[in-house]
Amino acid sequence: MTRLPWICTALLVFGTLLAGPSPARAQDDDAAALRLAEPDFTLIALPTSLRLPPLKSAFRVTHRFTRPLNDDFGDVASDLFGLDTGATIGLEYRFGVIPNGQIGFYRTSNKTIELFSQYRVLPQSRSLVDVSAYFSIEGTNNFKDSYSPTVGAIVSRTFGDLVAVYVEPMWVNNTNQLPKAVVDHNDTFMVGFGARVRVRPSVYLVAEAAPRPSGYKPGITQGSFAIEKRAGGHSFQLNFSNSFGTTMAQIARGGPVDKDWFLGFNISRKFY
Amino acid sequence: MLHRLHFATALVCASVCLSACDEKLSSLGGPTPNLEPTFASIQRDVFETTDSSGRTSCVTCHTNTGRAPSAGLNLNHDTAYDQLVNAAAVERAGAKRVAPGDSANSYLLQKLVGAAGIVGRRMPQNGPPYLSDGQILIIQRWIDTGAPRN
Repeated sequence: MTRLPWICTALLVFGTLLAGPSPARAQDDDAAALRLAEPDFTLIALPTSLRLPPLKSAFRVTHRFTRPLNDDFGDVASDLFGLDTGATIGLEYRFGVIPNGQIGFYRTSNKTIELFSQYRVLPQSRSLVDVSAYFSIEGTNNFKDSYSPTVGAIVSRTFGDLVAVYVEPMWVNNTNQLPKAVVDHNDTFMVGFGARVRVRPSVYLVAEAAPRPSGYKPGITQGSFAIEKRAGGHSFQLNFSNSFGTTMAQIARGGPVDKDWFLGFNISRKFY
Repeated sequence: MLHRLHFATALVCASVCLSACDEKLSSLGGPTPNLEPTFASIQRDVFETTDSSGRTSCVTCHTNTGRAPSAGLNLNHDTAYDQLVNAAAVERAGAKRVAPGDSANSYLLQKLVGAAGIVGRRMPQNGPPYLSDGQILIIQRWIDTGAPRN
């Protein structure tokens, strides 16, 4: 059991590598070119279809302040809307390993580590939508406990340089932190929905939600919205979420039933 | 084409591995690491065994060996199931000791957690230590899955 997550990770990474560059696909649109409708690798917590050129990389910081915004406005303002309180912080680094394929590492301050890979299977130029396969496995306690793997797809479509919409069916295993012998559901099927709209030349509105049609689904559906500014290779995003989830299993576990909202931000940087 | 085949093969293998991830039941069982949500396991690890936490076995009192069983409940090996499942609770009229599929209305579980409304003391009566939350959860699961004779 202790070797299983490493076996899964190795399979996912080597699977992505073995997929290799098909000559025709390698000639598709330039992965390094700026895509105005899809400037970043994530919406707020959910991934996008954006490709990473081979041997290039990107970095992201996530921050979710834990102070609910629903309280008395004066109290919330005196805490500067949560900035005076603690936060769940995440650091991510992703790397392009092959054309259309990327792998990444993400760690949150609650000691969860997520390893992920993504491979574009079908470009929008050949069909109505862009389809990417997505795999990840995360473990709590610095990848020592509670391993939760995810298999899913990222289906997206961009409309000119203005809008990108996403549908992301994901199956996340071991979302219930009790053994499956004592629970009805130990996995979650969720469908992430999201959109990014370019409202100014470099300003975007972003929203996402991840309803869970079946499986283990405690709490409420995680939802978020954000405003984002692109500046060169950077993206600065101010977001509002009803939960702190930034990994797939955390998103699948939903938000607190108190229906609080929390302030957060993402900062990302492309190194190409 | 060969690359795609490799990729698909890796996906299938990964999916099989992925579905195997689970938490350890032994960590939930605590002082009874082999406890499972089956009647045989509960009989062996809870009713008949004093565990490493010092929680005494149920058959210390609930036995007809050399004494009259407390509350008329005999948890000896050959009689325990029939004495529990769908059996009327002596202490509270109308209640069942174990109502299959309905742990909330099973008097056994109410006595183990010390729920409000029980007659007499929480079990085991010389506790603490009592059964841990994890041990109780495993027993609750056995009841909620129909309390089979397994």
